[in-house]
This record gives sequence, C-alpha cells and structure tokens, in this order.
Amino acid sequence: MDESKPIFLQIAESIENDILSGALGEETQVPSTNEFAAFHRINPATAGKGVNLLVDEGVLYKKRGIGMFVAQGSRARLVAKRRDQFHTEYVEPLLAEAAKLGLTSAQLAAMITEPIAARSTTDKEAAS
Amino acid sequence: MTAMTITPSRSRSQGDSLKRIVAVTRLHFVNRFATFWLPSMILGFILLLNIAIWYLILAATAGVDRAQTEKGFSYSGAVFYIFIYMLIVAVQAISRTFPFALGYGVTRRNFWLGSSIAFGLIAVAFSALLTVLSLIEGWTNGWGVGGHMFAPSYIDAGPWYLRFVLYLLTFLFFLFFGSAAAAVYVRWRSTGMIAFFAAIALIIVGAIALITLTHSWVAVGTWFVTSGPLGVAAWSLVVTFVSAVAGYFILRRATPKN
Amino acid sequence: MTTVIEVNGLTKKFGRFTAVDNASFRVEKDRIYGLLGRNGAGKTTIMQLLTGQLFATAGSISVFGETPVENADVLGNICFIKESQLYPEDFRPRHVFASAPWFFPNWDADLAERLIADFRVPVNRRIKKLSRGQVSAVGVIVGLASRAPLTFFDEPYLGLDAVARQIFYDRLLEDFSEHPRTVILSTHLIDEVSNLLEHVFVIEEGRIIVDAESEDLRGAATTVAGTKGAVDAFVAGREVIAREAIGGLATATVGPLSAVDRSAASAAGLELSPVSLQQLIVRKTTAAPTEFEQSA
Repeated sequence: MDESKPIFLQIAESIENDILSGALGEETQVPSTNEFAAFHRINPATAGKGVNLLVDEGVLYKKRGIGMFVAQGSRARLVAKRRDQFHTEYVEPLLAEAAKLGLTSAQLAAMITEPIAARSTTDKEAAS
Repeated sequence: MTAMTITPSRSRSQGDSLKRIVAVTRLHFVNRFATFWLPSMILGFILLLNIAIWYLILAATAGVDRAQTEKGFSYSGAVFYIFIYMLIVAVQAISRTFPFALGYGVTRRNFWLGSSIAFGLIAVAFSALLTVLSLIEGWTNGWGVGGHMFAPSYIDAGPWYLRFVLYLLTFLFFLFFGSAAAAVYVRWRSTGMIAFFAAIALIIVGAIALITLTHSWVAVGTWFVTSGPLGVAAWSLVVTFVSAVAGYFILRRATPKN
Repeated sequence: MTTVIEVNGLTKKFGRFTAVDNASFRVEKDRIYGLLGRNGAGKTTIMQLLTGQLFATAGSISVFGETPVENADVLGNICFIKESQLYPEDFRPRHVFASAPWFFPNWDADLAERLIADFRVPVNRRIKKLSRGQVSAVGVIVGLASRAPLTFFDEPYLGLDAVARQIFYDRLLEDFSEHPRTVILSTHLIDEVSNLLEHVFVIEEGRIIVDAESEDLRGAATTVAGTKGAVDAFVAGREVIAREAIGGLATATVGPLSAVDRSAASAAGLELSPVSLQQLIVRKTTAAPTEFEQSA
C-alpha cells in the first residue's frame, strides 16, 4: 500500500485497473469486501469504502444476496475518465515544463512520436 | 457484505449473575491437580513418613512400656500442614486468580462470592477426607503402630461428625483469613501487609497484656478446657466471618497490578 | 452508528502523577480502533478505566450506556487481554482454554483449536515455563476466540515473532469480517497495524492528541526536504508538525498538500515524500511544544 493516499482510493483504483486491463470483464462478479480485506490485509470497512465508491460511480452494482458485479459499459466510462485524468495529471504538467524549457511544439511532438515509432519497429522485429 | 452475521449484542438475563459466580467457583477448580491431588499426595506422603517414624520408635524402644510410647504418638501435629497449604491456596486465589478473572470481565463482587463458594467446597471436601482417614486410623489401631495423625488427642472431639465439624471450621478459618490477608495485599500492597501484620501483632500483644494485668490466665485456661476443642473452633467462626466480610469490602475497591 | 463507549473529561491521578488527563472520546460499534502512543503514555490506564479495573479520579465513562465499574451486565460483554497478564499459579494453557468458555458465551472452540495450532502453543506446559511469545499467544487466542462484543488488546504481542504477529493480524481481520465486534488495540508497532485500524487515538502524557479516522491521517502529512532556505520559504504559513536541520539542509513535516502545493514544491527544488502513520505519530509525540509555537 502507498502511504501517500487513502487505502480506499487505492482499492478502488486497483479494481478500476483490473476492469481496464480486462482481468475483470463486464457483468463478472468482483471479490467480496471481506476477500479484498483479507487479500490486502486491510480493515474490511476500508475495503468496503473503496468498493462503495465504485458503486456510487456506477462502475459496480450490487445484486442482492449474491454480491458485486462490474456494470455494463463501465470499461468505456473508465477509459474516458482516465483519459481526462491523463490530461490533467500528465499532459498539463508536461506542457508547463516544456514551456519552461522553451521546447517548441514540433520538438515536443518528436519526443513523443519517435519512441512510439521505435517501439513499434522493435515489436515488428520481435514478431517476425 | 451480503452474508453479514448479526453481532450478538450485550446479553442481559437474570440467571447471568449466578452463572458468572459459578464460573468463578469452577475457575478455582480447573487446575484440579494443584487444588486436590497435590495436597492429597503430600498428605499421603507425610502419613507414610509418620508411620515409618512411629514404627522405628517402637522398634528402638522395644521392651519399654508400649502403651506409654504410643501415648506420645497422640500429639502429632502433622495434619497442620494441610491447613497451611489451604491458607496458601486462598492467598493465591486472591493475589493471582483475581487479576486474571477481572480480565475475563468478572466483577469483584461475583469474584468474591464465587471464591467463597469454592472455599466452602474445598473445606467440605478436605474435612470429609480427614474424617474418613481418622476413622480408618481408629479401625486400624493407629495404622497398626498406634499413631494418631488425624485424630490427635488435642482435637479429639468425640464422635466422627464432631471431628468433621472441627475440621470444617478450621479449614474455613484458614481459607478466609488467608483470602482477607491477600485482599489487603492486593489493595494496599506491601504497605498494607506491614500495617495488617502490625495490627494483628498489636491485638495479640494487647490481649496477652490484658490477660496478664488482670491475672486472668487461670480463667483463660479454664475457658479452653471447658469450651473444649470444638468450642474454641466455634469461636474461630467470628474471625472467619469478619475475614469474609472485610475481605469483600477491601477487594471491592482493589485494583489489579502486575 | 451505535456508540459503545463514551468518555468525557476522564482524569486518573496516581498521587501527584496524572496518568490520564481530561480525555474525551467516543467509540462506535463494530470497528477496530488503535490506541497508539509511547510506553507510559497512559494506554493501559485508559483500558483499565474502561474495563472497571481502575477507578477514575474525575470525569465520566459510559460503556454500553452504563458505568463499567462493578457492572456485571457491562463487564460480561468485555474481554481484556493485557500485556504480561498474570495467570493463576501453576496454570497451563489448557486450563485457560478450558475455563474461558464459562465466561464468554460466544466462545468458539473450533477457532481456539485452530489458533492453538497456528501459534503452536504447548497446552500442557506450565505457563511460567513458556516463552514470552507463547504467553502472548495464549492471550491473543483468548481475545480472538472469546468473540466478546468489546475486546481490548493491550500490547498483545510482546515476544511474538513477525510470523506470529502476521497470523494474529490475519486471523483478527478474518474473524472480524465474519463476526464484527468492537476491538481496541493498543500498540507501538504502528506501521504493522495501520492498515487494520479504522480509527486512531494517539495518547501522549495522558492526553489524547490525535482522534481521527486512519484514512484521513494517511496522506495527511508530507515531508519536504531541501536547502534550508527553500524549505523555510515553502513551509512559511503552514502547520509544521516537525522540523529538522543538518547544516544547510532541512526537512519539515507539513500537513496536507494540494496538487498546486506539490508542483510549487518541485519547482522550488524540494523533494516530497509521504509520511507513514508511524512516522507521523513519532513526530507528533516527540516534537517539543516550542517547535509547534514557532511554526504557528
């Protein structure tokens, strides 16, 4: 567990990550609060808080007497949410720092596109 | 979250208090070895030792008047060991079991009541044992060597049931006096102990002084003779009772320390 | 939420020494609380007051709505596992496990059996011959298997090794999940338990100096490190929990930082690192009052 932020947020994020990666498909059951608590060795109430956060956001829903399930369309919503976050958390500071260093938008673009291109060629080589 | 069981909330029933008192009584007997078997085994060992000594004396004094020798055997004080053992049982019951029981959520009141019942049961059980042994002693002509460990002449109160009562009163005296003394210790620690024994010494010295100054030693002697062992033991009930009541009030405000 | 314990203005003096100083707090039902603080801070005294073992000098205590002192109805729902518990002379663990069910109506014998195996307690050896950790294990087993609605663990694991402590935490969480109850755990191994606790009380010299949800404390403090000038400039006007300086370098522990604060700090060349609950408490309980005043 990361010391810098509340555990319930970390629990919610780890469930989100599993949904994004496809490990938790839509309409599949997620582990119970107690299972989360035992696995992460945290207080069940804290785990419950993380799960409930996702219920409030409509990512998970409750089936009475059965448990928690991943909601229909939640992956797409999470991708959208994470893209917004990506913009504020990564792109904006990046632009601010680039402006400070006097990088032009072309230089900045090259810094981003070149490694991506390089990676795709190595991927192709590895595949062939 | 779905299968959340309902927590048993605090229970509150009429029979609860009695149950907890009985639980305290049982707590004193959970280690049966220390309460029953060990003192019984030591008692048996002392008996064997005494029989051996009596036999050796008889053998060494062969030819001398046997009846005269056997008369000397009737003053054995060996049985006193078991009273002292029970005094220690009572002291430990208060000094060790009390703080332990409080951790189990027992009130001081229930602890004292439960312990008192336990003391009563111990007194009855061991009085019965000593009485039975005294009867065997009689039937076997003093274990075959004319010894008197369980019915020494100075406590021979006549019939077996009076002997039982005599033993019972003595056990109760040692158990409750021991527990009251331990309660003083638990409540006031060593300061309390010093004051307690100083007070007892003062009472004894005071009584002796009073008797001496009023030249009443003869009267006291006569009282002991006329009261007989049972009468004297009956008076011990006063001390036993005072110990039981005082012990309760002392422990009521006592706090356990490690 | 149901309040299980309510304490107001609680004070306990031993002669001239004030062990608990005007403490007020509440404990809600079915949560795990941490009572944290240094040795001698007053943790045990508070627990003894709450369980009716000690008598308060001033203030009021209500447990399950009533005073705990000599109250069989209240105490019958409490299990108090104390550090270096005194056991009756010549007791063996089996005597403890045989007698405990008479006092705890919710006692789970199967759980006790499992825990005895987990902790490898020699049930037939005399308690005074057991190692420190084994004695602690006996207490921990009673505390868990008793399932008392209100359970106190006062430094329950002196002498327990890391593996045994982990077993304790796991079993506590597991059993708590299935049978929720109110647990108050005092400890100085804060990092180990911080994830288990829902709420934290920190006690220092008899006073409650922190009374907060542990989730709120997480991320509530950050350490700022850098040159003395930059640190001083950054922390000016903030609540500083602790401060240290070596030559021209300084570190300061400050309260919650916003994203703006963080970028400002990195812009100033300062290094930020999160503060664990344990570090936070260490800083709060060792900082001299004058340091607090300076920063205020």
